[in-house]
Amino acid sequence: MVLLRVAQGDERAMEQCITKFGPLVWSIAKRHVQDHSALEDIVQEAFTDLWKSAKRYNPAIATESTFVGLLARRRAIDFARKESRRPQLEPLPDADSLPHASIESSATLRCESEDVRAALKELPEETQQIFSLHFDEGMTHPEIVEKTGLPLGTVKTRLRRGLIDLRNKFRRLDSGQSPSNP
Amino acid sequence: MKNQDTSDRFEELEAGRILGDLVPSEVQDWKILSANPNNQADLSLELAAAALDAEFLTNENTVLPEELLKKLHNGISEFVKAEPENAVIVRPARWQGLLASSKAAWSIAALFAVLFIAKSFVEKTPVDPEGLMATAPEKSSSSEARETLISKAGDLIQSEFGGTENYNQMSGTVVWSDALQEGYMSLTNLPANDPGAKQYQLWIVDPGRDEKPVDGGVFDISANDGTAIIPIRNPLMVTNPQAFVITLEQSGGVVVSKQEIVVALAKTS
Repeated sequence: MVLLRVAQGDERAMEQCITKFGPLVWSIAKRHVQDHSALEDIVQEAFTDLWKSAKRYNPAIATESTFVGLLARRRAIDFARKESRRPQLEPLPDADSLPHASIESSATLRCESEDVRAALKELPEETQQIFSLHFDEGMTHPEIVEKTGLPLGTVKTRLRRGLIDLRNKFRRLDSGQSPSNP
Repeated sequence: MKNQDTSDRFEELEAGRILGDLVPSEVQDWKILSANPNNQADLSLELAAAALDAEFLTNENTVLPEELLKKLHNGISEFVKAEPENAVIVRPARWQGLLASSKAAWSIAALFAVLFIAKSFVEKTPVDPEGLMATAPEKSSSSEARETLISKAGDLIQSEFGGTENYNQMSGTVVWSDALQEGYMSLTNLPANDPGAKQYQLWIVDPGRDEKPVDGGVFDISANDGTAIIPIRNPLMVTNPQAFVITLEQSGGVVVSKQEIVVALAKTS
């Protein structure tokens, strides 16, 4: 568990983290931000967050890559929001809000790769398709509209409800049930 | 709306928030619903989205740009060194006190010079010097953008720069809007720099956000600038700046600044 060693201030573990998760952080940032210089800043900030908040990582709550992915998403989405000059939302909570290792959390979603794949297969086919376009191919909503011919509202609704459904399936998997059980 | 309907609506909006696709009317709905104690979101939807990202993107044959990878690795030692036990770290409360004091700007800046700053653990990408030269069109454009900001921002902060001992001929103002996350410096009599050797760098002190000042961008002053209008380039959100500090750094700017040459400071309160 490299993050647990990072939490103890192990510099060597931090080097391993950068090597192991750098491509993931870079890929996530690229999904939300086009500017190359900003991308580099986001990657650097994400790893700064990781160094500072690794002590909050709890292997019982999420996998290491999910935890790192969450930090990278926050950085990238906050930046994209700011750039878009859309109406300001409360920023996503900072790393201090992450469930502390000693605290039980209702957010437990410790799903391994095979669990994620299994849960995805349980989603309606049309949702799977949109998920694939958005999360795998990195398409924006308008690009999905163009590709599928679906109205924008439908794309948004399927993504949002799909995410909620998937979260519920993860929870069932996490509690040892089949993802399709009610 | 029934409780269950309200809860469902909030959850859908929360999913939209995490996916980054809320429209303005939904933002308003989200704000109203999130104020309800029954609608407190946990991290589960965000973790689900992160798990999807990790699943889809980890399998890609993505390679981190070599230059960035090198910077990250080289930066670790600096980052780890950022808070050694004997380092002078000024906590937010001390920043507030420092900035609230009535000392002259130059003496505050001198104190600032010994502070240990660690915004990140790697050096920022050097900016193309050519893009920073105050050419006429850019200057004009920045000047117009500054005027527009002054006329449209309802929360405009404006403050005067005071030069430190070796820069006491300079003068200038900074204007900033939290709501628009936009700001400009107007600087006069700041000595021209050689972009290949040294560059000016702005730092934004926002103790409410972090004890570490936010990088506000690297910039150059050329010999015939007169009054230069410099846009502030903050990669991070700034919400309540207490001061703007200009330093002179190595070409390309730094992230970990020793604050050896503090040029000017503008307090906002």
